[in-house]
Amino acid sequence: MPEKEVGTAFEVPIGPQHPALKEPILLLFKVDGDTIIDVWPRIHTHRGIEKATESRNYIQNIYLCERVCGICSFIHTLVYTQGVEKLLDIEAPPRAQYIRVIVSELERIHSHTLWLGVAAHELGFDTLFYYVWRDREVVMDLLELISGNRVNYAISTVGGVRRDISPEVADKIRKGLDIVEKRLNVYKGVVEKEPTLRERVVDVGKLSPQDAIALCAVGPTLRMTGVKRDVRADDPYQAYDEIPFNVVTYPTGDVLSQIIVRVGETYEAINIIRYALDHMPSGPIKVKVPWYIPPNEVISRGEAPRGELFYYLKSNGTEKPERVKIRTPTLANIPSVCKMLIGCHVADIPIIFAGIDPCLSCTGRFAFVDEKKNKSWIWSNEELRRYSLKWYGKA
Amino acid sequence: MVSLEEGVEKLKSYLGAGNILDVKFQPPRNCFILIRADKLRDAVSYMVNELDCKHLITISGVDLIKDNQFELIYHLNDGINTFSLRIRIPRDNPKMVSIVDIVPGAVFYEREVYELFGITFEGNPRKENFILSDGWPVDVFPLRKDWTIEKIRERLEEERRRGVKGI
Amino acid sequence: MGLIKWALTKSPWILHFNTGACNACDIEVLAALTPRYDVERFGILLKGSPRHADVMVVTGSVTRQIRDRLFRVYEQMPEPKFVMAVGTCATSGGVFQNCYHVYEGVDKVIPVDVYVPGCPPKPEAIIYGVVKLLEKLQKAKI
Repeated sequence: MPEKEVGTAFEVPIGPQHPALKEPILLLFKVDGDTIIDVWPRIHTHRGIEKATESRNYIQNIYLCERVCGICSFIHTLVYTQGVEKLLDIEAPPRAQYIRVIVSELERIHSHTLWLGVAAHELGFDTLFYYVWRDREVVMDLLELISGNRVNYAISTVGGVRRDISPEVADKIRKGLDIVEKRLNVYKGVVEKEPTLRERVVDVGKLSPQDAIALCAVGPTLRMTGVKRDVRADDPYQAYDEIPFNVVTYPTGDVLSQIIVRVGETYEAINIIRYALDHMPSGPIKVKVPWYIPPNEVISRGEAPRGELFYYLKSNGTEKPERVKIRTPTLANIPSVCKMLIGCHVADIPIIFAGIDPCLSCTGRFAFVDEKKNKSWIWSNEELRRYSLKWYGKA
Repeated sequence: MVSLEEGVEKLKSYLGAGNILDVKFQPPRNCFILIRADKLRDAVSYMVNELDCKHLITISGVDLIKDNQFELIYHLNDGINTFSLRIRIPRDNPKMVSIVDIVPGAVFYEREVYELFGITFEGNPRKENFILSDGWPVDVFPLRKDWTIEKIRERLEEERRRGVKGI
Repeated sequence: MGLIKWALTKSPWILHFNTGACNACDIEVLAALTPRYDVERFGILLKGSPRHADVMVVTGSVTRQIRDRLFRVYEQMPEPKFVMAVGTCATSGGVFQNCYHVYEGVDKVIPVDVYVPGCPPKPEAIIYGVVKLLEKLQKAKI
């Protein structure tokens, strides 16, 4: 790898590339030999969405907010439309709420299985990556059946949902979930018993519950330290107050804990969908709403696959919003992942960072500074991954 | 865990009723509380330590250009209820004290508000850009209402023509 | 045809670059590599370094922060090189028209050979784009 003296202005240009999900982020590490002393993040994905929402009307903003994140696109539209409904002081009809819950949980399953494949790839376990992504296609087919698209479903709208779930579609969903559950049992066995996998993840990237709370962590990153917090249970929205489910936690606070929590949540999601399909109320799927929204302000929260998603909406009496503030879950988890990385080996960076399931993804570039040896260097994700596999004797 | 009304009453008796300027309840689990800007640190400290509201969801900035003010809303959550503390600061001198020592997770939220609105937080350790590009001009704050998108683009074109990198 | 052209059309190596996308196009590009769609049967390999790549697959509307890096990675690729813009954002900016931190489209920064529109394009559409690129490679003067 190219090294340079600290103080010169020459940077080695290495682009972000990685066979699994990438969104560009730069992490600057201060290292002492092989141990990390400090981490400084810098994101590259700011697009100016909050400003753009102020020049589009409320319906156009649904399609803009959907594309804040492609993996959890539905929860963004759900929390946004829920917020606009609160501005108008109306509620979506019960059938629409159940349909929203079903799509939301299907998205959770697709997101967690995606993450499992990515985490397996970071550990060098490509076989598991390909198997899991093959089985994820079952869920993608179900989502395409319900909404017409594999990603960016555009099914939630202000006042309800745009498409209904017919009994034939409901049957297909049940059959698909049976297949997913059977395959998930296999992966659960691998994760719990495979010793080479456990060696890489047990006691790696530890976070204490006190730190997680002080650093305002959310989602599985918080639940993997043992703290029982989930927006669906604490501040129920849509139909979640009528559907029984468990909040999955695990006390050890390392990367294995992350895996166990996410696999557990996938099982819970399957059960939630089954319950919702069996108890779906009949009735309309949408109510009519006015174009012009009176001046008001609300907050709206939801549980995305990565954690708590938050929207603050302010209306001013016109058809365009005054202010839309979005706080995505990964932003809330960045201070926690920086804390997890300190004191760890450089070779553990890929799996620890992938552990929080970043929607700023498994990073593009890592810059290192070793003050004692007075050198600094930049690695791409692929170079770091290869170093990590070699360190653990796999390459 | 306290209920919304209890939480507001306890905050009123701690800060003094004169420092709480307005309360708006949004059932079932949210309320907006307008307090005096210089009492913010005391309020946050009380809510974090006494009322167990340790989770800061985020800090929302709003540009109230007609009143010549900025509004900052600190959304604090105790697991169930959300207390949104809001303060107003003058637009000509946008400054606020940082709460990073009380809530360590606030460091990136404060930096984001600085980059988008220009409100400085005294005590925040982060000095480089976190979300805007490296070459972004220091006096352009995109989310302010007087910086329209056309105006921002013209300004960036000028900088580009001058040869500034990272834009 | 010459050896280089034969190698290029039988087994193009690709580099995937995300310029600030929402990740939807990226997961469809990756899904194209997984067993159901399996683009590797065309000899396509996902490589780590721009020095080894023939084709750069770009997703996302280019953010201002990433623009210089995109240009530098493009310069690092050896000739002959080709660029495939996947997704509506990479083609024209997509929903992010008139956003202050975004260049509307990859072709504002580097020359593009194949555009694959869609939000996101399905893996079948991406494979079709790859086939179109191979046809273009066949006709190219190398």
